[in-house]
Formats: sequence, C-alpha cells, structure tokens
Amino acid sequence: MARAFRYYEKKRGNRRTGSPALAKYGEAAFFAVLLLLGGGGLALLFDALVVPQWRLNHEFVATTCKVIEKRVVEEPAADGPSFRPEMRIAYEVEGQLYSDDWHYDLRKEYRGSRESAEAILAQFPIWDAAKKNTVPCWYDPLDPKTAVVMRQSNWWVWLIFTVPGSFIIIGAGGLVYTILNWGKSAERRALLSRRSQERDLFGRSQEQDEYPAVPRGVDLTNSPGTRLRYRLPMSNSPGWALVGALVFCLIWNGIVAAFVVVAVRGHRDGQPDWFLTVLLVPFLMIGLGAIFFFLRQLLLTTGVGPTLVEISDHPLRRGEGYQIFLSQAGMLAVNCLRLSLTCEESATYCQGTNTRTETREVYRKTLFERKEIKIEPGIPLEVDLSLCVPEGAMHSFAAEHNEINWMLVIEGELANWPRYRRAFPVVVCPGERQS
Amino acid sequence: MSVEPTVVIIIDANGLGHQPGETLTGEYWVNGLHSGRVQAIEASVLWHTEGKGDEDLAVCAFWRRESERGQPLDPSRPEPFSVTLPNSPLSYDGQIVKVRWCVRVRVFLNRRRELVGEKVFQLGHLPRVRE
Repeated sequence: MARAFRYYEKKRGNRRTGSPALAKYGEAAFFAVLLLLGGGGLALLFDALVVPQWRLNHEFVATTCKVIEKRVVEEPAADGPSFRPEMRIAYEVEGQLYSDDWHYDLRKEYRGSRESAEAILAQFPIWDAAKKNTVPCWYDPLDPKTAVVMRQSNWWVWLIFTVPGSFIIIGAGGLVYTILNWGKSAERRALLSRRSQERDLFGRSQEQDEYPAVPRGVDLTNSPGTRLRYRLPMSNSPGWALVGALVFCLIWNGIVAAFVVVAVRGHRDGQPDWFLTVLLVPFLMIGLGAIFFFLRQLLLTTGVGPTLVEISDHPLRRGEGYQIFLSQAGMLAVNCLRLSLTCEESATYCQGTNTRTETREVYRKTLFERKEIKIEPGIPLEVDLSLCVPEGAMHSFAAEHNEINWMLVIEGELANWPRYRRAFPVVVCPGERQS
Repeated sequence: MSVEPTVVIIIDANGLGHQPGETLTGEYWVNGLHSGRVQAIEASVLWHTEGKGDEDLAVCAFWRRESERGQPLDPSRPEPFSVTLPNSPLSYDGQIVKVRWCVRVRVFLNRRRELVGEKVFQLGHLPRVRE
C-alpha cells in the first residue's frame, strides 16, 4: 500500500520525491520557530535593556550627592580581567540619608583596562566640605537605594538587538512568502512573480516587455566605437583573471611556505617530520601550478595586446547584415587568428548540494581566419568584416537557470605561447527592426 | 469500472505553428468528472524550459475559476480562451536547453488532489538544433 507521504525523500536537482505538503508544513514551522525565537529574544532584551534605560531617563529623580570613596572592581575571566569603576556616594531622599552602597551606572558595565576605569573615577572628585563639590546623581523613586552617577550607556550595547532582529526579519519574511505561496500552483506563483516585477518601477523596461526573456544588453552599447557605432566589451577581462591568479598564488603559497619552513628546520636540526614533509608535497604541487597559471595569465595579458571589436548596430536581428571592425594589437607571431560568431546554450542545475552550469556550443561561423601573420608593436592588425545572423537562428534567451548566449569569439594560436580566447557577447533579438 | 477523468484542450488551427503577435484561441473541458468534486480550475498559457538545467517557467496568460457555495463548477462545459502571443521566447529545441510553449489546465479536486492536462504548441518556426 502506498504511503500518504514519504518522510524521507530523494533529491534529483529541483525534482523531489516525497510529500510536497509535508515540505510546506516543515518550511512554515521552520520560519515560525525563527520568528518566535526572534520575538522572544527581543522581548527579553527589551525588558532587560530598554525598560530600565527608559525609566532612568524619564522616571529617576535628579539630585546631588557627595562622593565618599572610590574604587576599581576587578572581575577575573579566562580571556583576562575586566574592570568596573564604583564609588560610594551619600545622598538624601525625603530626609533619609543613603550612603552605604557602591554606585556608578545602571547596568554595571565593565571596561577592558584598569586605566579606563580609573580615568572615569578621576572625573568625580571626593567630597570636600570646603569646596562643597557635590556631583549630580539620579535615584529610583520606587527604590531610592538604586542610584547612578552616570546615565549614558555604551552605544554598542544596542547592537545586540540585531540578533533577534535578524531572526524576526528572516522568520517573518519566510513565513509571509510561505503563506503567500501556500496551495498555489507553479503557474500562479509565476504569475505573482511577474506581477511583482511589473510593480517594481525599475524591474522591467520597455524592451523587456516587448521581448520577454531576451536580455537587454544595455552594457553592450554604452561604449561608442572609433570606426563603427559601438565598441563591444569583453565578457571576462584578462586583467581580472590575472589579479585573481595573483591573489590565489600569494595566499596559497604564503600559507604553504610557512609549513615548508617548519619542515626544512626539522630536517636541518636533525629532527625530520616525515609526515609533514610527505603531506606538503601535493600542496607544493598545487602552489607550483598556481605560479605557472599566474605566469601564463601574465604572458597572455601583457604579451597579447588589446583586442577591439566594433559593430555597426546592436542588438542584432536574425537575417540582417552588420559591419564588424576587428583590431588586434601586441607583438605577436601568430600561427592562426580566428574570429567567429558562436551561439552557446547554458544550463544551470542542482546536483546534490552543488550547483553546476554546463555549456554547449550549438552554432559557429568563422568570420575571419588568417594564418602565419606577424603583428608589430604600434601597428595593430585591423580588419573590416561583415556579419549576418542566420535567419532560422534562436534569439538570445535569459532565464534564471537557462540561457542562450551569442558572442563574437577571437581565438589566437601563437608561436611558443599558450592559446588565447576572448569573447565579446552580443544580443540577438527576434522580430523585425522597427524603423 | 470507473473512467479516469481527462482534461481536453483544443487549440484552434490544431496547435500548428503560431507567430508572435498572433491570437491563440481554443477551449478546454474535463471529461469524466462530477462537478461536486472540483474546487477550482486554472488555465494558463505559458512557456517552460526542458533539458539539462533546472526548469524555468513564465506565464503569459492565466485564468482561475473557483467553485462557489451553491454554484459548483461544471468541468464538462467547454471554456474558451484567447490570448495574444508575445514576441519571445520562441519555441526552441536545442541540445541542452529547450523552450516549450503550452496551454496547461490544472484542476483542483477535493482532498488536495490535482488533475493536469497540457497541450503543446509552437511559437515561431525554428529548426531543431542537431547534435
């Protein structure tokens, strides 16, 4: 007999077996618990911090007192002692003298050093009958034995409210989201999502309304070209790859070097740690690989000069022709230089707890190919080309997990150098150009 | 022997290729279902992705009819629909990404049960991408 729902479920990407109803209840319970924890914590903090501070500011009665004695209280702790200033004061409430207790602030806060506590005490002079140097203090009318000479508290105490606050925000937000989607079909949820995007003034543009799921490509047309209308930006700048390789190389090899020093010292002093030595070998190999990759990126970035691609119009339309201007600078002996128009499918999916993206090239047309050329410094290779997007091609497409990306790709095979590839994304629109 | 209920969706022009901007019309109904068992019926014209990636879905048009007290829905009565198709995305049959357009009817029954019917149609005429 089939069970009403499965307690345990297998996960295959976003497709799950098991009971969706149970999952919904679990999700709602999780957010409700977070909300309750946050609310309870907030109430406790309110009672412990806000109410006493408010009473101190609004209900405590101001008077003056005589400072009779001062001291620094030391509180030992595992991470070092902390210190608290205190003073014995004398004050009168309705004819009764209070002078037995030690006071300073309401929350009895401690300081990190004795000096800071002593500096606070130095601001309060001991009572001198000749000077009549009283200091202001505030006492609780409900319990006159409770008095303070300092009403302000450290501002950072209030930061503690961010903990229950974040619990409340996550719990309430998640609960509202769960309730709003409760019992709603995937189609209805998609409709609500679309409507919320439409309500967002900055969320959708006219182009997105005209061509849903087609990327706008605004960043592709904000740089004018020198020969043609637009200069296309590169999808991933080699400079960033170089910086990334350098940072990884420094961090990895810096950490490994520290262990290498320990291992070498052991060998030098006649007390070799063979476990550490053997363990370091693969880490050293990765470090050397990182250095090799960095040097390769350095060669590609500095040796291969900038590649410029300009286009006569954008976005592209299927079946229409465009002018392309290609410029490759540097000091290169090129075995083969090729510029192609490509279309790539990209699919993102969950596999276990990982998110993976797979790409597949589904169209390629070589626009320019030249072999055995030499590019001299200051004299870049410049080529004018024409491009036609095929009539029956799929337009650019962008959704949360799936994409279809068109790009102009330049690939170079250099003599005694690693190959390089630079991609310049373009957007292909469906439909006719509007005059 | 009881007959399993089925959702019938008819698209005018037999669901052959439709062009962006065209009006898609048709009707739907449910066979073999008593009206007392139906709580609500949702009909949507939507696209969704298939293939290697996780599914993306967007709704172009959506209608929902709910059963009211004293006025139960009659699922066997044909319900017409009409929608102007958008410019994109076009139907696409790629290698790892596919875009499918369809009319989907979801019938909400008692005891949280659902009955779903779907009719695929083509938006645009793109050739299939070969491996």
